[in-house]
Amino acid sequence: MEKKFWLKGVIPALVTPFERNFEVDEESLRRLVDFVIEKGVTGVVPCGTTGEFVNMTVEERMKVIEVTIDEVNGRVPVIAGTGDARTTNAIEFTKHAEDAGATAALVVSPFYFKPTDKEIYEHYDKIAEAADLPIILYNIPQVTGVEIPWWVVEGLSEIDNIVGIKDSSGNMPYMMALFEKVYGKISIICGHDEIAVAALAAGADGLILASANLIPDLWLRLYDLVEKHDLEEARSLQRKVQTLARIITRHGGGLAVKAGLRMMELDVGTARKPLMTGGVFRYEDEELLRLSLEWLGKLSSKTLQLEIKPNLVTKSMFAGATPQTPMKIRDFSLKVGEAFASPSTAEVAHVDLLIGLRNGPVGRTFRETLANPRTGHDPQLVRLGSKTVKPDTLLVPTVTIRTERQAEFVYVHAMSGVAKAVVDSVEDGLLPKDALEELVMIANVFVHPTASNPKRVMINNFKAMVWAIRRALEARPTSEELMERKESARHPFRYEP
Amino acid sequence: MVIRIKRFNLEGIFPALVTPFKNEGEIDEEALRYLVNFMIEWEVNGVVPVGTTGEFVYMSKEERKRALETVIDEVNGRVPVIAGTGASSTIETIELCRHAKDVGADATLVVTPYYLRPADKGAYQHFYEVTKAADIPIVLYNIPQCTGGFLSREVVEDLARIDNITGLKDSSGHLPYMLELLSFVGDKITIVCGHDEVVLPALAAGAKGAILASANVIPDIWVKLYKAVQKGDVDSARKIQMSAQKLARIFCRHGGAVAVKAALKMMSVNVGKVRRPLVSGGVLAWEVKEEIRMELEKLGKITAKQIKVKTELPKRLEDRFQDLGITAKDIEQSKLLVSEASVGEGREKLHVFLLAGPKQSAVGYVWARALANPEPGHEALTAILEPNLSAKPITLIVPAIKIESLRQASIVYGPVQSAVGKAVSDTVEENVISKEVLENYAIIVKVVVNPEALNRQILFTNTYDAVKFALSNAFRVWRG
Repeated sequence: MEKKFWLKGVIPALVTPFERNFEVDEESLRRLVDFVIEKGVTGVVPCGTTGEFVNMTVEERMKVIEVTIDEVNGRVPVIAGTGDARTTNAIEFTKHAEDAGATAALVVSPFYFKPTDKEIYEHYDKIAEAADLPIILYNIPQVTGVEIPWWVVEGLSEIDNIVGIKDSSGNMPYMMALFEKVYGKISIICGHDEIAVAALAAGADGLILASANLIPDLWLRLYDLVEKHDLEEARSLQRKVQTLARIITRHGGGLAVKAGLRMMELDVGTARKPLMTGGVFRYEDEELLRLSLEWLGKLSSKTLQLEIKPNLVTKSMFAGATPQTPMKIRDFSLKVGEAFASPSTAEVAHVDLLIGLRNGPVGRTFRETLANPRTGHDPQLVRLGSKTVKPDTLLVPTVTIRTERQAEFVYVHAMSGVAKAVVDSVEDGLLPKDALEELVMIANVFVHPTASNPKRVMINNFKAMVWAIRRALEARPTSEELMERKESARHPFRYEP
Repeated sequence: MVIRIKRFNLEGIFPALVTPFKNEGEIDEEALRYLVNFMIEWEVNGVVPVGTTGEFVYMSKEERKRALETVIDEVNGRVPVIAGTGASSTIETIELCRHAKDVGADATLVVTPYYLRPADKGAYQHFYEVTKAADIPIVLYNIPQCTGGFLSREVVEDLARIDNITGLKDSSGHLPYMLELLSFVGDKITIVCGHDEVVLPALAAGAKGAILASANVIPDIWVKLYKAVQKGDVDSARKIQMSAQKLARIFCRHGGAVAVKAALKMMSVNVGKVRRPLVSGGVLAWEVKEEIRMELEKLGKITAKQIKVKTELPKRLEDRFQDLGITAKDIEQSKLLVSEASVGEGREKLHVFLLAGPKQSAVGYVWARALANPEPGHEALTAILEPNLSAKPITLIVPAIKIESLRQASIVYGPVQSAVGKAVSDTVEENVISKEVLENYAIIVKVVVNPEALNRQILFTNTYDAVKFALSNAFRVWRG
């Protein structure tokens, strides 16, 4: 039996842009659609999980689908997200999508009340019966709480207008069962960004991904590489995007994608409440996402003007700039940046950083501290190998050093992360090359006395130091951010064990 | 089928004994005997050696046997001994149960097979074969936190029909499961509670007793609770449960044997260390370990260390920043802002004094210097609302009272730190601090925090109120 539609390629699960008042932002939606189509995507999915369908009204969902279809204007297939907890509603959405001219419907399995396999089967059966539109099943147990059993998929694949399944579980044994039972019968699509290469290599027909909003070009390349059976290159590319993929799948989905798009100057607003930055998408994920995008070359370079002193103004190309980065940075008397990086309780890094002029308060402290080291908190010049880094940077342990092991973790492992961060920040262009001698830095570095994993201590300190330098120079958090974030702040040690 | 009366009666409070180890790693027999007597003096209804809290899974068969023999010898018939004889394989379980019978244990506690987890059929057969092979009362043991799965109620229903199966210890803490068991097999076997946090509700619901890790440490409290429930005095029982709740939570969620051993050590009952991979500072974080001490003090298990809080502060507020390098003269000449506030009473009372000035003034310099030169016990840190969210104007917190433990540190660098951050941010929002000051000023807050402070919510509120008051005083005066 030939299916009337066969989904393949790389398809972004579009975010739904919102204005600042959280109304649907039609204009940004159109811009986003054009952006991904210009990158070559083979279809788009409005109103999926990434599109926050569950937090939208009926009218909004319908409108977003209509706008997307209008903007796409036949250039690529539009697969409309039409799922709902209730069968009648899902039918209504699917029929609307059909009338609006969608190519197919992506229908998530019913959620909240966890249905049995019989109920799941009949849910899809009724929808397929009521609408003519090709239907793609959608398995995402992380949010629905229920996996569509493979034998239900097998049964449903017999129905004429059920043409595919998107599996976002990331559960490879499950996907292999799909290949065993329905390969070639319906299109099998991977919806989990972290295992894209594995899924394609195993036979998946395509990808519907949240991160394809951000890096559609890279996923298209990966897709082509697998098509050409160049697995070596495909694997290498997957490894490159893995950090980004992990942040998106595990730390915030659509919210994280939106944060990324904003960093790339494609402002789509933020996610609707209760989703918020600082929650599942932790503040450190936001910073790491920025670094990942920068490493993938997705952030634009900006020329910063740094007024080091009234008579010393330097220009610097900063490769990690976001719309938040101030174009002009002034007053280098005392700049402060704080940053925290995890994982693992014992290996967390927490940096309090001072940046300032050699002849300012930070410089004076720098010289005095080095001349009169405090026992247990010995300051050390930060070195990479045998060379001290520039600007001159002093590492000071937060916790009093009492054992040799502690000393090793601070002065060797944390130090190497801090050193690498300084070097990278100079290469990035944030620390201006022509003013390195004018500035000094002091990093107060927290390493937990129970740390055991040297590599993680090094990496966490690298991240925390890069972020602390950025926060100090970009004056972050900004007062707007603070006002927005202060009520929901939750200090981890504020609560009794 | 005729329901026969089971031979062994599992009622009351039973400590799940830790296994004391010497530094070299072998069992410390002497300490084990000491612990047994220590327990019996508190009138426990029996003891359970070589259970989960006894680290059975890290012990060789020979060690398990020897620990059991030692306990039986020391108990010498004074109370029943329920031997932990569970193992992953049926063969080994049988061997250990037979040994327990031979050396005179009153019953055995047999954990559900773990790691390679059988389905219901295998679980049933496991216990069935053990009862066939060893003629000793068996207490089934459900602890899904460790074994990875529940012993299903259906299997328990079937097992309850076997003569030798006399009870079930449920350590899941899952009350719907326990009530399900009580309704299906409560009349056939004795259900006891193994989860320290839910002892009262379990007993109230019909459990006949409790086998508890924390009963190594506070047997008297559990015995009292047990008696209160027996008398139907639920009010007293609730109070007793609540008095032990935090300790119970720490034992259940922060390291079982690790925490129990740490607590016993604090009470001068030396039972040595846990075996690796468990270590202190792992599942039992050092910050939490100190909380155990505070709880033991509250419960009268150890005498509180008398900590003298030195508050010999100079009389004049302007003189209280001298240790940081700012004199009254500096304050006057550079028109620096100072203020103080004190909020609350008792342990959570909080006193702050605050210094603020432009970054270019002496305040900026001492701010940087304090952060670059941590004074042991008085380490300064920036005010944050939470990690990755620092307050503005840049604010430094300097603890005025010496910090002596990680717990104390976690209080200052937890509720106090976040309250300072929040107070500064809220003061900014209320426009007491102008936007121009936001980027150009530096603030130093010295905090006097009682090392005995316990209630983190009250401490947060007191700190918040004090800092807000001090800030609005400092900045309002300045603006006026």
